Amino acid sequence: MRRFARLHPWWSVWIAIATLVLLYLTFAIWPPWLIGLIGKKKLFLNSLFNGITLGSLYFLIASGFTLIFGLMRNVNLAHGSLYMMGGYIGYLIGDWTGYWLLAFPVAFMVVGLFGVILQYFVFRRMEGEDIRQTLVTIGISIVLADIMLWAFGGDFYNISPPSWLSGPIETIFVTGVKRSSGDLIYLKYPLVRLAIFAASLAIGLGMWLAINRTRIGMLIRAGVDDRDILSASGIRVQFVFVAVFAFGAGLAGMAGVVGGTFQSIAPGEDIRFLLASLVVVIVGGMGSIPGAALGAVIIGIAEQFGSVYFPTYAVVVTFLIMVLVLAFRPTGLLGRN
Amino acid sequence: MRSGVQVSGRLSAAGASNALELRGVTKRFGALLALNDVSMTLRPGERRAVLGSNGAGKTTLFNCITGDFLPTAGEIRLYGEDITVFPPQERIRRGLRRTYQISLLFAGLSVLDNIYLACRGVLRRRFSMLRPGRNEPALLSAVDLVELAHLQEVRDSLVSHLSYGQQRQLEIAMALAGAPRLLLLDEPAAGLSPNERQALVEILQNLPEHIGYIIIEHDMDVALRVAEFVTMMHNGRVFKEGNPRELENDAEVQALYLGEVDG
Amino acid sequence: MAQVVTTETTPQSRSMFGRIPAAYWLFGAFLLVLPSFASNFVMYQIFGWSFILGMIALSLMFLAGYGGMFSLAQMTVAGLAGYVVAICGTSAITDISQNWPWYVNIPAALLIAAIFATVVGWLAVRTEGIYTIMITLAVASAFFYFTRQNYVLFNGFSGFNGVFPPQLFGVDWRHPVAFYYLSLFWAAFWYFAVLYVSRSPMGLALQGIRDNPRRMSALGFDVTAHRVAAYTFAAFPAAIGGILLTWQSAQISPGTAGVGPVIDILVIAVIGGLRHPVGPFVGAFVYVILKSFSIDILVALGLGGERFQLLIGLGFLVIVFWSPDGLLGLWAKLRDLHRRDPLIGRLVRRL
Ligand SMILES: Nc1ncnc2c1ncn2[C@@H]1O[C@H](COP(=O)(O)OP(=O)(O)OP(=O)(O)O)[C@@H](O)[C@H]1O
Ligand SMILES: [Mg+2]
Repeated sequence: MRRFARLHPWWSVWIAIATLVLLYLTFAIWPPWLIGLIGKKKLFLNSLFNGITLGSLYFLIASGFTLIFGLMRNVNLAHGSLYMMGGYIGYLIGDWTGYWLLAFPVAFMVVGLFGVILQYFVFRRMEGEDIRQTLVTIGISIVLADIMLWAFGGDFYNISPPSWLSGPIETIFVTGVKRSSGDLIYLKYPLVRLAIFAASLAIGLGMWLAINRTRIGMLIRAGVDDRDILSASGIRVQFVFVAVFAFGAGLAGMAGVVGGTFQSIAPGEDIRFLLASLVVVIVGGMGSIPGAALGAVIIGIAEQFGSVYFPTYAVVVTFLIMVLVLAFRPTGLLGRN
Repeated sequence: MRSGVQVSGRLSAAGASNALELRGVTKRFGALLALNDVSMTLRPGERRAVLGSNGAGKTTLFNCITGDFLPTAGEIRLYGEDITVFPPQERIRRGLRRTYQISLLFAGLSVLDNIYLACRGVLRRRFSMLRPGRNEPALLSAVDLVELAHLQEVRDSLVSHLSYGQQRQLEIAMALAGAPRLLLLDEPAAGLSPNERQALVEILQNLPEHIGYIIIEHDMDVALRVAEFVTMMHNGRVFKEGNPRELENDAEVQALYLGEVDG
Repeated sequence: MAQVVTTETTPQSRSMFGRIPAAYWLFGAFLLVLPSFASNFVMYQIFGWSFILGMIALSLMFLAGYGGMFSLAQMTVAGLAGYVVAICGTSAITDISQNWPWYVNIPAALLIAAIFATVVGWLAVRTEGIYTIMITLAVASAFFYFTRQNYVLFNGFSGFNGVFPPQLFGVDWRHPVAFYYLSLFWAAFWYFAVLYVSRSPMGLALQGIRDNPRRMSALGFDVTAHRVAAYTFAAFPAAIGGILLTWQSAQISPGTAGVGPVIDILVIAVIGGLRHPVGPFVGAFVYVILKSFSIDILVALGLGGERFQLLIGLGFLVIVFWSPDGLLGLWAKLRDLHRRDPLIGRLVRRL
């Protein structure tokens, strides 16, 4: 951190100011002029939290995407289809068994297994041919989308969370003061979203630990930095590749269950979430997991604030962020040059 | 007149008489110091050999001179002009040329197209969308270079179909395109047959006087026949400089070649 | 990256008409006299549409086949040009359309499309090749969502209808015969233009950059500038295709350049083949035929009539797997097979 501050003094100042402003906006009781300027605090806090939870969903999807890309140079444009597949599987499991929690491991495993098949039977045969692999993923996404449309039709599917997770809870964040009694009003927020946020955080931390503390994680990091090292070190590279692909695919499948719970699953969602992960990864830095986390939060928040504060131009905000990053840091905020 | 004034103005900046001047050039790859404070001066038309064991930093030196990598520290001057941070193409347009240790050719294009591109690269109208006419100067000189490199028979073949030796010859021909003043030749003789080696030596010996070069060469015989001055590199440093006779009999150099010195 | 697009043979004839086989002349003549016997549907829907999609895919072929840059934004460039014609020219949305004459709005469309493509190119080319697909796909979808949300300029979800070609020289250019010749002319024009440019310094430089960017800058070329210039050039066939597409259906809406069509253009170019400018047109023809007769084909295969995407997706996968050079590559392989018949050991009639 100190090194960063030394290298980029201006950036550090800006980041510090932004953090302070954000902290103030989150915790202070807003004075009337501020409310006059940007509206109610409740709206602000809600968009902020929605942005963060949306960001955590994006992170779940994008981290697998970026990991696969970083290690295998495979731009997996079928990643959105894996997400959607997970969503449908989650729905079926929830529907049959009635256990919401069971949907996660099943979606993870089924989609992960599908990832194993893809990597082992398809992509292994075209190693090093980046473009061809990507073209294949496009073909796979077209086929999968149509098969899923065939099987599930054009309806919206909602995965309902269990009763103990439904409904809002009161948080510690103050939105205002009751005029009559002077009591503080606290923000109410859907519990399921908080749970999802917590789970993403846990998964993110787990990934970070796995990558920085375990042997296979070291291998993956070495491989992302320099793929020759991996093949030169005599490890079974294919095994690492299959494992990483399966893990990334499984995460996308799990994200499908999450997405189906707090939004819904329907044709077209695959493309929507593919695009979201593309933008997240471009902004955060391709191949970098902390980059995916940063990009996901930025894009999630930007999307929510955009749709609340300038609804007509919500997309433009996200897009502008991407263009600005590309213009000034083509490799993304945390990407290596 | 005006351009003459400009040039001399530029030249008077420093060391007008030197083709190439390196001052304290250093290149780091992470923890590895591939070039360590290398200084070197080349007169116009001077022909020099760079020797050194594997990993001595010879290719990295070339990469810094041509701008493929920016040096971590130090200064590079080409005909008096500071080119340290120029992009590669700007250096090439000033008369610098190079060949690569591992051929970097355009596999999907024919031999003639490869050389034509080399000729075109240093001319104006690189963005032209008009096909070259039969008498376009760049095309004519490309045809000449095909002959110089003895590649007439494969002129219209795809580069991916050439033999190894032919690819090496094509590398040389491409470096001679345009009006070169200083060539950087990275092990041009590696892997060539004795006959091809002889042809290469002849091409180099017959170059016009004003064209200088630096040649990286492991084969002492070739190096000594085409160079008038020798620089030994070791572990990223200039280890010894001198004329070929001196170095050949130098005990330290011989020891290095036998692998007895390591610092 | 070059594996997909490596050219097998470089046509070395420097004269354009010297060695054109008779079959090509015959095919040209066939296209010219087609209106005398073909139905309006065939002219307008099959051939007109193939030419248009072929032109847009041609712009992708130019970037990908010669430059190694797989831009998914070419359909977006086409869509933008269509939008400009609708906004600056005449449409049923009289609140927005400016009613400018064709000699203003068409150049405006080309210019704006070229500027847009240049900016996209500049954003996309400064990173490694593989990122191009991601960045251009993101740009394309951003354009889609933007046009769908913006009502002031792009009239949001419904877009523009009633966008007709001008009544130039007293001809109704939407008449099937007139439109057929119009689209044939532009398709042929851009086909030959791309073929011609491929052997110019610009085109050769692009192919050099595809094979080896590092060497190109060591020959004195500014690689980034060349790549960006390629995007600018490729904007023109795409933009003309986009304008014709708008006229053909008399409407333009966000869906015209949605993610589906954007991917379709890539599919068309790859199915046809990226090695030669004729590939995109072959791909477009196959695509249009499949799309027009998919119900019959699918029912014959025992699938539901709506499974067109499945069909095209599987076809695409088959091509990418077994013939990275597309149908063109397949054709070349078959031809070679027949030339050197192993049994008879002599030349065999071509397919
Ligand atoms: N791009 C790079 N990244 C990291 N290290 C590099 C890079 N290029 C060269 N090196 C390292 O720098 C050192 C010098 O390499 P260089 O290629 O200059 O040696 P050389 O003298 O040309 O050897 P050779 O005779 O084998 O060609 C080597 O240890 C090499 O591994
Ligand atoms: Mg070397």
